[in-house]
Amino acid sequence: MEHPRQVTAIGAAMVITSTIIGVGVLPLPRFASEAADAGGPLVTLAGTVPAFVGLWLITALGQRFPEKSIFLYSEDIIGKWPGRLGSALLILFFAALSALTAREFGEVVVTAVLKKTPLEVTVIVMLLLAAISSRNDVVTFSYLHQFYLPFILAPGLLIAVYSLKNAEPLYLLPIWGNEPKAFGEGMLTIASLFQVSFIMSLLIPSMSRPWKAMRAGLSGMAIAAGFYLLIVIATIAVFGPEETKKTLWPTLELARMTSLPANVLERLDAIFLIIWVTAVFTTLLSSYYLTIHAISNLLRLRDHKMFTFFLLPFVFMLSMCIPNVLDLYAIIRLVGKTGLILTVIYPLLLFTTAWIRKRREAS
Amino acid sequence: MNRLKLGFGLCLISIFLGGCWDRLEIEDRAVVLGISIDEADEQDAEAESNISHKNDSFVPPKIDKMRITAQIAVPGRIPLGPEKGGGTDQIPVWVVQATGHTIDDAMMNLQQQISDQLFFGHLRVIVLSEAVAKKGIESISSYFRRNSEVRRLTWMMVSEGKAEHTMNVAPPLERVPALYLLATLDHAVQMGKFPNDFLGIYWITSSSKGRDPYLPYIRIRGKENIEIAGLAYFSGDKMVGVTSPLEIGFFMAIKGMNPGGYSAFVRVPGIERSIMFRTTHRKSSTQLTIQNGKPHFKVRLSLEGNLEEKSTETFSLTEPGILDQIEQYLSREAKKSYTSLIATTQRKGSDIFGFGEYVRAKAPAYWNRHIKTSEAWHEMYKEITVDIEPILKIRRVGMKSS
Amino acid sequence: MTLWQRIQQFFLKPSKRPKQAGASEPSRAPSISGDLRQTASAISDLLGDNDDFVSRRFHLFGAYPANLFYFSSLVDADTIHREILKPLMAPLPRADSAPVRVSHLKEMLLRDQLYFSEGEWVTDFSTMIEALMKGYSAILVHGIDAALLLKTRNIDQRAIDQPKTEQVIRGPREAFNERLDTNLALLRYRLPTEKLKVKTMKLGRLTKTKVAVCYLEGVTNPSLVQEVMRRLSKIDIDGVLDSGYLEQFLSDNRWTPFPLLQSTERPDKIAAALLEGRVAIFSDGSPFALIAPVLFSVFYQVVSDYIEKSVVSSFIRLSRFIALVFSLIFPSLYVSIISFNPELIPTEFAVAVAGGRAGVPFPAVIEVLVMEIAMEVLREATIRMPQQVGGALSIVGVLVVGEAAVEAGFASPITVVVIALTTIGSFATPAYDAALALRILRFSLVILAGIFGLYGVMAGLILIANHMLSLKSFGAPYFSPVIPWSAKGAKDSLFRGQLWKLNKRPESYRTLNTTKVGKETRNLVRQEPHNILDPVSYEGRRNNDGTSSPGDRHRGGDGDH
Repeated sequence: MEHPRQVTAIGAAMVITSTIIGVGVLPLPRFASEAADAGGPLVTLAGTVPAFVGLWLITALGQRFPEKSIFLYSEDIIGKWPGRLGSALLILFFAALSALTAREFGEVVVTAVLKKTPLEVTVIVMLLLAAISSRNDVVTFSYLHQFYLPFILAPGLLIAVYSLKNAEPLYLLPIWGNEPKAFGEGMLTIASLFQVSFIMSLLIPSMSRPWKAMRAGLSGMAIAAGFYLLIVIATIAVFGPEETKKTLWPTLELARMTSLPANVLERLDAIFLIIWVTAVFTTLLSSYYLTIHAISNLLRLRDHKMFTFFLLPFVFMLSMCIPNVLDLYAIIRLVGKTGLILTVIYPLLLFTTAWIRKRREAS
Repeated sequence: MNRLKLGFGLCLISIFLGGCWDRLEIEDRAVVLGISIDEADEQDAEAESNISHKNDSFVPPKIDKMRITAQIAVPGRIPLGPEKGGGTDQIPVWVVQATGHTIDDAMMNLQQQISDQLFFGHLRVIVLSEAVAKKGIESISSYFRRNSEVRRLTWMMVSEGKAEHTMNVAPPLERVPALYLLATLDHAVQMGKFPNDFLGIYWITSSSKGRDPYLPYIRIRGKENIEIAGLAYFSGDKMVGVTSPLEIGFFMAIKGMNPGGYSAFVRVPGIERSIMFRTTHRKSSTQLTIQNGKPHFKVRLSLEGNLEEKSTETFSLTEPGILDQIEQYLSREAKKSYTSLIATTQRKGSDIFGFGEYVRAKAPAYWNRHIKTSEAWHEMYKEITVDIEPILKIRRVGMKSS
Repeated sequence: MTLWQRIQQFFLKPSKRPKQAGASEPSRAPSISGDLRQTASAISDLLGDNDDFVSRRFHLFGAYPANLFYFSSLVDADTIHREILKPLMAPLPRADSAPVRVSHLKEMLLRDQLYFSEGEWVTDFSTMIEALMKGYSAILVHGIDAALLLKTRNIDQRAIDQPKTEQVIRGPREAFNERLDTNLALLRYRLPTEKLKVKTMKLGRLTKTKVAVCYLEGVTNPSLVQEVMRRLSKIDIDGVLDSGYLEQFLSDNRWTPFPLLQSTERPDKIAAALLEGRVAIFSDGSPFALIAPVLFSVFYQVVSDYIEKSVVSSFIRLSRFIALVFSLIFPSLYVSIISFNPELIPTEFAVAVAGGRAGVPFPAVIEVLVMEIAMEVLREATIRMPQQVGGALSIVGVLVVGEAAVEAGFASPITVVVIALTTIGSFATPAYDAALALRILRFSLVILAGIFGLYGVMAGLILIANHMLSLKSFGAPYFSPVIPWSAKGAKDSLFRGQLWKLNKRPESYRTLNTTKVGKETRNLVRQEPHNILDPVSYEGRRNNDGTSSPGDRHRGGDGDH
């Protein structure tokens, strides 16, 4: 945390965007259409609301305490031990999130691309990539995200736009869906996909202009949300809500069905998977980095590098615990939704407490 | 710190020593280019090697056995670039057959016969026999969906009679028969003779509640030719009927699919001879209203086309009003044809036009209350009314001035 | 956190310290006393063993005993005869007057008598020895406790030649040679400004290599210069044989294969770098000079880019960049597509490739690795081969070998094509050390591709990109101006903007004076071109001078209408 302030506002925005766009982009349309049929886009849009609220809270808190990260100032606000408890819970949560992300990634690769490779190997390789890359300081961390973001956005947009030629607008109607039985639940599931934006609390202490953090964070999340929305719209428009529900990874199937004009490239899904590896990497890097910094903050250590490899076996064990892919998604939904308590309610608590305190001090 | 790093690094490298698990060289794969699925004959049904089950300890599924025929590319016999003279003696593909209770069972049996591992990444055509299609193809379809190697751009079609014959047809235009079939369909789409209906779209339409799927229907002509003989329409996953080729054009017109490509003979009123009208552009819009508790559709379509052939000189096109007359006559005839096509599909309970989707989308309250499932829609489809208003316009008459 | 410290101590061992470098010479006791015989014998003890060491006794101005020391292999004999011995041995014109006092001799020798452009009195013995070793001549006079050092060095040097490693189509063709003085001269003639500063130091205990640091005062950031000098002064090694030794000590990151300092043998490149606000480091004995700091742009930018027009240069730069990326990933992509994902290629092609590989015994990854290794071995071999033989066994020769391998069934034809294209593409990278880095990385990518397919290639690329993103050259991020983005800098990254648009120096080097192009030039460019030869406005003046006589002109003019 002793790094000079060098992260730019644009850099922070790009970090947020590339962090959010990650492994969730593959099952996202399925979550949306399981919740509300043709109302998938609406659910997605609704799901961004809690996400924005969470980000707003964290950024506002961070701007109020621009020198410290949340793990430090939470102790200031609500006391030493409650703050430490909150931080410990956050650490556990993000470690679990990293494990789940890595596992989901491994599952996709082993099912769709490398069928005989053991799952452990794919997961370890990705975790290793993240671990090695988290040994850098915050500025290099932001450089990584800035570098990879165009590679993530451009192909995604390309696929979404070209797939629209097979789209049927009827599939997007009615806007609120025929049977939106699980609208609320879907909203929360989708909001949980945005949670890794918590990394903002780590960026603010190192930003060169912390007062721009709000604009940066919100615009970064807006771009990611727009991207997700586009993917959901494209998928549901092409496949229809029923087919989307049946496919495990609809976005992947979307890439498979798309072909560039003049049939230059047919099987775009391999290309898509390659790009997706980058997206998962950035997300995993962020959550892993967050975990490590959280631990080093909690224990008041200077250097976070020693944890990078130390944490690896634990996260790996966690991701191997789950027996099969369908259980995996059940657990992802569960953990995601409980995590919302940590990433939205807890900052809300902190924020209101700080606000009340400030009021009291003023008067 | 160095010792720790070294130890850790060694541990990791040992993982990679395990080997490359997924490496399978391209020449070690049996590239399956096309598959056909038939019902098994009596004698084949008996002789089944017990690969996926032992004879007594297994209850086979209720459907009859099926027989698959696969066309596998032989490496080296399909050269790139110009053919070196005399190369046509060698048949570039190898056709093998196997039987099984389900399609996966049959695939296992097939793999047992072949040395290389089957590879479906280049599977381009799947041909089902009419008999199989009439029994319901849900299990076949979901087998291919679960397999991640299969492309969504593969074509699935129904053939008249036995499907295995299509795997043996070798026309001179293309070296590989399966690729010829593929080219037939792809070019048909480009020429506007068939809607874009590859496997992915089939899956989409069959999942949609308010729509029924359709597949190309092909027929073998002579020894070497395969022609598109119509559109096989399904109710749910069972085939219930076939249209004629021209009716494909009607179908595309009602859906407004472009590019247009069908030509129709029209008899000009008052004259014995006929002209040939060929569509170039189709446009249609559908409107839904609920009348008397039942959906009523109004389809407005406009077709533009060229006059391709005038088989007589007894009248000239420059006569005033003759083109209008022809257009009006065309429109009337078209209306009759479209209505009859829709009526046929209604009788069979197969909504290939997707009217159900309109109801689901535009009148969701009605849908939720009365219909909800695709079976219910099949019933209701028989009772809906459709009003068609086609307008045909002749835009060009070719290079001749009259 | 003593718990952590304890764990650390338990697992880790302290690293060993590096040994002190260089052999130190035994300290010197002798000094230059006024006693000629004593000093002379001290020098002879030290250097007299050498056959090329000359000790010449003479009488200064015919009267005072003196001794001249020099290394005959290092000096120009003519200079010794004419410029030193002759004027010194000749008697003084005022020989009849009172003999000159010894204390005045010192002044007189240098200021009045010797027609020598460089000369210096030194009192330190070891300095004198060092100077002798470098080719200076030393004159000792009885009674003077100092030695006169005269620069008489004359060692043959290589003529200024074309650069061997950095060819250009259009641009200067001078290259540095091994002498520092010549190199500095080549630089000075390109930047004849008093702002060009040269600071030297001696590095290497036994080689005593003279190292020069050049920069433009008022442009270069002074802290950069200080940092360079600081790092250089920390080098304590017995020999600095080439600037490459310096480069390894000056780099921020010791383990990376990527170059963190640029090396070049072209003076125009050095001049351009200095104008950008960078620092140049010369080493005596090496024709390659170093430039600090360096960015990723070294991989695809050349000096001649600025000589050609903007549009053309941008296009060529782009193609160079594409060749670079292509040569990095092409073999691994090939391996991963053939072995793991053949569904990516069109069907006819896939079957044909399978046919081409049908008889080959090895998997694609082994084939590619073997051929790549063969290519590398061949490259090394061509460097060492004598000229006559080397030309024949060029890369084209390898293609023939490849053909033979294909015929024999050992390799498939497509592999040969892939490897050939890759190798040709790899030559497009202008900087040799950058190309080396990419060669190494290509191998690792092929191995990763052989294990994991496209996913492995992607993981490898991510690792490489992460590594490059974390590199810093003297603190400047390696990927500037792309990451972090600088719009002004991006005008000169992949595309080369018009020269007058590149009017600011690169931000990454934190220069002092940032404007390069004058405002008036910028305005001038925006104006309409002055069409002096426009036929419409040309008034058709007849020229009565010149070589045409009245009889030459015919009516109607010479093709005016």
